[in-house]
Amino acid sequence: MKNRLFAALPNIVFGALIAIAPQTFAHACGAHDGMMPACHYSQQAATGIGVVILALGIVALFVNPQVRIGLNIAAVANTLLLFAIPTVLIGICKGAMMHCRMVMLPTLIVLGVLVIVFAAAAIWMDARCARRA
Amino acid sequence: MTDHATVYDSVQHSQRRILRTLAARNLVGRPMRTGALLAVVTILALAFFGGTMLTMNLNTGMASMERRLGADLMVVPQNTAQKAEALLTDGNPSTFYFTKDIADEVKKADGIDQASEQTYIASLAAECCAEKLQIIGYDPSTDFVIEPWVASQFDGTLEDGQMIAGANVNVSADGTVELYGHKWPVVAQLASTGTSLDNSVFINLDTVPQMVEASAKVAKRVMPAEYADKAVSTVLIKVSEGYGAETVAENIKRLDSRFSDLGYVYPGGVTATTKTALNALVAYLTVFVAAIWVMGVIVLLAVFAASVNERKREFASLRILGATRGMLAGILLRESALIGLIGGAFGVGLASLAIFPFSALIGKQLQLPYLQASVPTVLAIMAVTLVCSVAIGVAGSLAVLVRIGRPEAYLTLREGE
Repeated sequence: MKNRLFAALPNIVFGALIAIAPQTFAHACGAHDGMMPACHYSQQAATGIGVVILALGIVALFVNPQVRIGLNIAAVANTLLLFAIPTVLIGICKGAMMHCRMVMLPTLIVLGVLVIVFAAAAIWMDARCARRA
Repeated sequence: MTDHATVYDSVQHSQRRILRTLAARNLVGRPMRTGALLAVVTILALAFFGGTMLTMNLNTGMASMERRLGADLMVVPQNTAQKAEALLTDGNPSTFYFTKDIADEVKKADGIDQASEQTYIASLAAECCAEKLQIIGYDPSTDFVIEPWVASQFDGTLEDGQMIAGANVNVSADGTVELYGHKWPVVAQLASTGTSLDNSVFINLDTVPQMVEASAKVAKRVMPAEYADKAVSTVLIKVSEGYGAETVAENIKRLDSRFSDLGYVYPGGVTATTKTALNALVAYLTVFVAAIWVMGVIVLLAVFAASVNERKREFASLRILGATRGMLAGILLRESALIGLIGGAFGVGLASLAIFPFSALIGKQLQLPYLQASVPTVLAIMAVTLVCSVAIGVAGSLAVLVRIGRPEAYLTLREGE
């Protein structure tokens, strides 16, 4: 039960935060001359990825350790995608003092790092448990 | 005989291995106690590293700001002293000016060693998704404030139409900055200063009329055409030896009755005010970190002391099995050092997650010069934090060490029977 919660809860919490933060306090910059900046699309993509991580966390509550390992690997892969979206794939505003660069990007990075750290720990715990079984 | 020796060696080796790993096994075997100790050490390390980094970054920013404010006195137009002060610290870009003839008159006052003019223009947002920039026109031939700083990173001559960009300015891949629909070539980008100068671009005074014309083509003209080649926002003054900035300001006012209405800004005073605010913040931070450490050390000592009774039998059993007091001390010290090291690493990691990615936001919210300390300094502070965390863990376990050294093992084991 302990391993199950450890493998699922962080993904549920951080997935929800990754989904909610870009739409609330860590939002993208507003439209400029009627054009949406790149950070707007990064924001939307980040929300989608957050929902996927949240779903992985919920599924992890009901499955065996081997499947949980796979789900956490998927969460790590999704987080790497989360990092790539604002930095490489879509991008954000270039200005150092723009809200998306000052708040949205760091928030996503911090939440992403936490997802990876907890997923790695959960994978290790579940792998140990699976070996014993 | 050789077989016996081999078996003996093997047993000895195995015992040593068990003793080496016993500390880690003890920690894993008592997850609640280990978790509580780790939490305390993590908070201590987080507070220490976070507080030290904030203090260090503020001091680095302050030192950088002091280096950039080389003038003793700034003479600015009427009612613009506050805007000019804000430009020195972290204010928004602004445009203000008087005419060159006033500047020329001001320079005639007694007690002036060096004087140079600057013109300030606030840009529109440079291009999509960039912030407004402060355009600073300066005269490279007379300048004594910007040029020494620029010279450390750009040794050429700033030609007409060219720009030097501050650290936060978004220079495009082709080495230009787009302002007022025109692409201005950037010859150098300066290192970060932690002040509003990072959001500025520097041009020579002859480029100012070009900039004004460019603004007229795409947006509201930043100043009337007739002022474009004679607008001066400030006269920066370095006073002669033996004169004070206030005395020179009085001398300027005496030149013409109209000059009493001009604004007089003393960068030294601005620096002193900022320094006072910074010192107050640093003092609060220090008290906060110290309070957390005092409480943390008390909690650590209490947890270790409470664990003595709980572990008396465990250690007595080990003594009966042949462990010396030195071995027990070694196990305890390894346990506490491990807790210190892991807790310290967690604390440093958590504080790093808050401080480094959000550095720009912290600087903006504090409204003080904030400049990230250099990588070697950061690494040194990380190392000091880890050493302190290990030291505090080991110090906490010393109380236990003293107490387990005293009683006889057999009596301890029979206690309560």
